[in-house]
Amino acid sequence: MSLAARDITKRFGGLTALSQVSLELKPGEVHGLIGPNGSGKTTLLNLLSGYYRPDGGKIALDESEISGATVQRRANLGIARTFQKPRLLPTLSVLDNAMLGGWRDARAGFFATAFSLPQVKADERALRSRAEELLHGVGLSHAIGRRANLLEHAEQRFLEIARGLAQRPRFILLDEPAGGLTAAEIEHLGAVIRVMRESGVGVLLVEHHTDFVFRISDRVTTLDVGAVIKHGTPDEVKRDPEVIRVYLGA
Amino acid sequence: MPLSNKSISILVVMAALIALPWWAGDLYKLHLAALICTYWVLIGGLNLVVGYCGQLSIGHVGLLAIGAYCFAILAGTHGLHPGLAIAASGALCALCGLLLGLPSLRLPGFYFAMATLAFALIVTEITLAQGNLTGGGVGLSVPGLPAPFDTPQGTYWLILAIAALVTWLTWNVARHTWGRGLVAVRDSAVTAQAVGVPVFRAKLTVFVFSGFTAGVAGALFAVLQSYITPDTFVFELGLFFFVCIIIGGRGHILGPAIGTIVLTALPEMVAPLAKLGNFFYGLLLLAVVLLVPEGIGRVFEILIERLRPRRGESHVVKPDLDRLARAIENGRSIL
Repeated sequence: MSLAARDITKRFGGLTALSQVSLELKPGEVHGLIGPNGSGKTTLLNLLSGYYRPDGGKIALDESEISGATVQRRANLGIARTFQKPRLLPTLSVLDNAMLGGWRDARAGFFATAFSLPQVKADERALRSRAEELLHGVGLSHAIGRRANLLEHAEQRFLEIARGLAQRPRFILLDEPAGGLTAAEIEHLGAVIRVMRESGVGVLLVEHHTDFVFRISDRVTTLDVGAVIKHGTPDEVKRDPEVIRVYLGA
Repeated sequence: MPLSNKSISILVVMAALIALPWWAGDLYKLHLAALICTYWVLIGGLNLVVGYCGQLSIGHVGLLAIGAYCFAILAGTHGLHPGLAIAASGALCALCGLLLGLPSLRLPGFYFAMATLAFALIVTEITLAQGNLTGGGVGLSVPGLPAPFDTPQGTYWLILAIAALVTWLTWNVARHTWGRGLVAVRDSAVTAQAVGVPVFRAKLTVFVFSGFTAGVAGALFAVLQSYITPDTFVFELGLFFFVCIIIGGRGHILGPAIGTIVLTALPEMVAPLAKLGNFFYGLLLLAVVLLVPEGIGRVFEILIERLRPRRGESHVVKPDLDRLARAIENGRSIL
């Protein structure tokens, strides 16, 4: 049971963004992914979630290959993600944004929806209560009815997480979720991530705040210019001379 | 059962519209109301494509023409029952929507608009060229509807009922999961993919639906015109449908409905405006795009927001971890 990248190579024209990178994300663990700018962290995340196709190696979910599966297929298999710059629907309410995450559970088709058949109402009730609980859970009780374009940065980040969780994911990939948050908000984020882990969700944490990553992760992978330079527990990675040289400094 | 303000206002408006033949005064105004409802049958469906899904179709006049000719040929030339002919017009235009959408909906915005424009121009040429079927430049006379819809009042009520049905259908789509998925396709295709919305299939579905409503509108339009020629379906009409939605506001239903009413009725009711013709549409479009780019619908929303008392606008995120854990575990227990 895992979401894994095996010997992944990805090129953009003449540039090799990733070369033979492997990473395994297990349920119920927080896996930190760190590295300097341009080291390929977001590229790897895009490969795992299906926005890119690998040029070599494979992406596997529970040992079955999904390298060629669309983003949507992977979402339906239980892989959710957030974005470096939150991508919300600005004209919809916070609740609607979170409910969008429930798309895969809305079984009614277009015509059933147009005629408002009982199945549609049942779907809607279930999605609404799930989204509301998640919004209360991540701390957006105060903003449920607000238009998403009125949210401040931290609220947008937590709303993206709520939307991802509304997808009922087995694995959630967070792309720099602490970016732009205050110290107190990063503490809240850490608590939310721990709850995800304890509930059995596998969390991939792409992040620049290394102290935060080391504090919260079970395992950490460090990338530099498209290759893994160290993989291990936070303590092992923190002490690795190569990691210190290229990334942590001093 | 106590009625909400919203349902009361819907009932009042519906009652007023049903009673229109008695208070409109003359038959011309009744005809105008029927024409507005006919346009709305098309625009209501198109609204899902343009306003919700963000696909800029300016060629729906082509579908309107196909629906109108299909009705005139089936009900007139072949003597098919008009009710069946209306349904056939809808079905044919849904098929045309499918055939047009399959290659063109993968194109990015501007190129898709050009493809729909080309489609509308081709339809005009075909109606001119296929003279033995369409009457060519001379046109076709269109049979009326059978009793009880053969009077101006009866025709109006039938069209009003169809317009109400289309409004209800699109409203249902807009306020449920499908509507959120469409808005996601419009505002962020990347987000739509991330949550599992099949982007192309969603676009194609609403486009086929809008084809159906355009075909039905075409049949009703032909009935109202009673005689159709290729000149009836000028390209400006396609632009007019599009402008009604942009002025009304994307992502709304009431806004584009008001846009349709205002843009159809104003030039007819106020004589000086009629002289201005397209200049009036252009001016109104310019005013809306510059002053309220989000359209009339958004103006209403802002007014409602102003009326509502604002509690302290907190922005503090305070997670409730027990509740979060329960919510995640509930989600994971669903198979």
